[in-house]
Amino acid sequence: MEKEYLLKKWLDNDLNSEELIAFKALGNYDWLIKTSNHLSNIAIPSINTETELESLKKAIHLKKEKQSKNWLNPLLKIAAVFLICFSVYQFTSNPVSEFTTLASQKEEIKLPDNSVVNLNALSSLTFNDKKWDTNRNVSLNGEAFFKVAKGATFNVTTNQGVVTVYGTEFNIKSRDNYFEVICYEGLVGVTRNGNEVKLKPGNSFLVINDRVVNLNKSNTDYPYWLDNESVFNSIPYREVIAEFERQHNLTIITKNIDLDTLFTGGFSHKNLETSLKSITIPLQLSYKKEGNTITIQRD
Amino acid sequence: MSKPLHENVCEDQLFDSLFRKHSKDLGNFLYYKYGEALNPKDKVQDAFIKLWENCAKVTPNKAKSFLFTVANNMMLNETKHQKVVLKFKETKPKSYTNENPEFLMEEDQYKLKIETAINNLTDAQRVAFLMNRVEGKRFKEISTLLGISIKAVEKRIYGAVKKLKQEIEELN
Repeated sequence: MEKEYLLKKWLDNDLNSEELIAFKALGNYDWLIKTSNHLSNIAIPSINTETELESLKKAIHLKKEKQSKNWLNPLLKIAAVFLICFSVYQFTSNPVSEFTTLASQKEEIKLPDNSVVNLNALSSLTFNDKKWDTNRNVSLNGEAFFKVAKGATFNVTTNQGVVTVYGTEFNIKSRDNYFEVICYEGLVGVTRNGNEVKLKPGNSFLVINDRVVNLNKSNTDYPYWLDNESVFNSIPYREVIAEFERQHNLTIITKNIDLDTLFTGGFSHKNLETSLKSITIPLQLSYKKEGNTITIQRD
Repeated sequence: MSKPLHENVCEDQLFDSLFRKHSKDLGNFLYYKYGEALNPKDKVQDAFIKLWENCAKVTPNKAKSFLFTVANNMMLNETKHQKVVLKFKETKPKSYTNENPEFLMEEDQYKLKIETAINNLTDAQRVAFLMNRVEGKRFKEISTLLGISIKAVEKRIYGAVKKLKQEIEELN
């Protein structure tokens, strides 16, 4: 009885000095005293009250802010649903196809009505898939050869003129200040500034720097570039250089050359050295190659 | 019977002083009962946030038991009756110069024994016992904190001592 009484008082820190001595003298509780000493040395998670209070205030404030923005959430959800519906609608009702080629790249494209378009380097073609059977409209930037299946009117819009076709094969070249349409088969109408010019097979329509150039006759069935060759007939040299850059994917700097000189000839899209000779030797020019840059000059 | 100054704890200064008064005890309580793993510090914060959110419904003298109950429930939700494992770390660094290796090894073993024995106590025993032995809290204080009678505190601590005696002495 005595033992337990002392023990309880000791645990409660409630012994006077006499009782304390008596307790220690018991001997049964040495292990407890030892354990107790050890326990009083252990680390309890340190809580810096003031720091914790600061964090608490911040957390409460943040929570309040979050709650006041709650009305926004359902609104955002509704808006998101609308946005998705709208995009789906747009996408399915207005499927726009776009094809783009890089330098040195050519691409063959099949249109919804099985018309075929060959796209030359650095060009792009855009059209709307829907309603293709009633309304065939494409936009062209650059150069392409068209093989249009018979059917409804086929229109090619460029920023230099609109070409209307009635089941035919034709080539359109729409570059900087250079607009050329060649008809290879069928009938092609070129509308420019309100005037329409009709082209029969072999006929071409060419505008350079806003000036209509003599309509030449063409002898081939389809443009040379489809066979990886570029051919020019009295065309300003600057156009030759421009096409060369597009096909070989490099930059050409010219020195001491009149770029309006008319050039008749051609170059291959394949062998670079041979092509360079083709466009320099006939005009008695020389060239130098440094990485991706060619310098052509008249000595 | 004096009328309390405040009807509830919504007033800033009062709330702050409640924090200063109870946060440490609450943190330690959670630590003794559930160990370090489930972030006692965070639960303390969460409990006070809950108090703030319900401040209109709690009177100042009910605040402490509100906090302890809420924090305890939060812990229970997380532990799902996992076994508690407390690992004790020492605050006082040892001085190795005048103690031989054998002694130190014995000490370490002993400490491990204590640790294991304490982890084997019931939650109730462990909490009361550690509050008493680690922090030196007296029975009365513990009874207030835990919301139980002094007799109940005695019973728990005494029970803890008996169990520890068995575990520690039998291995000596």
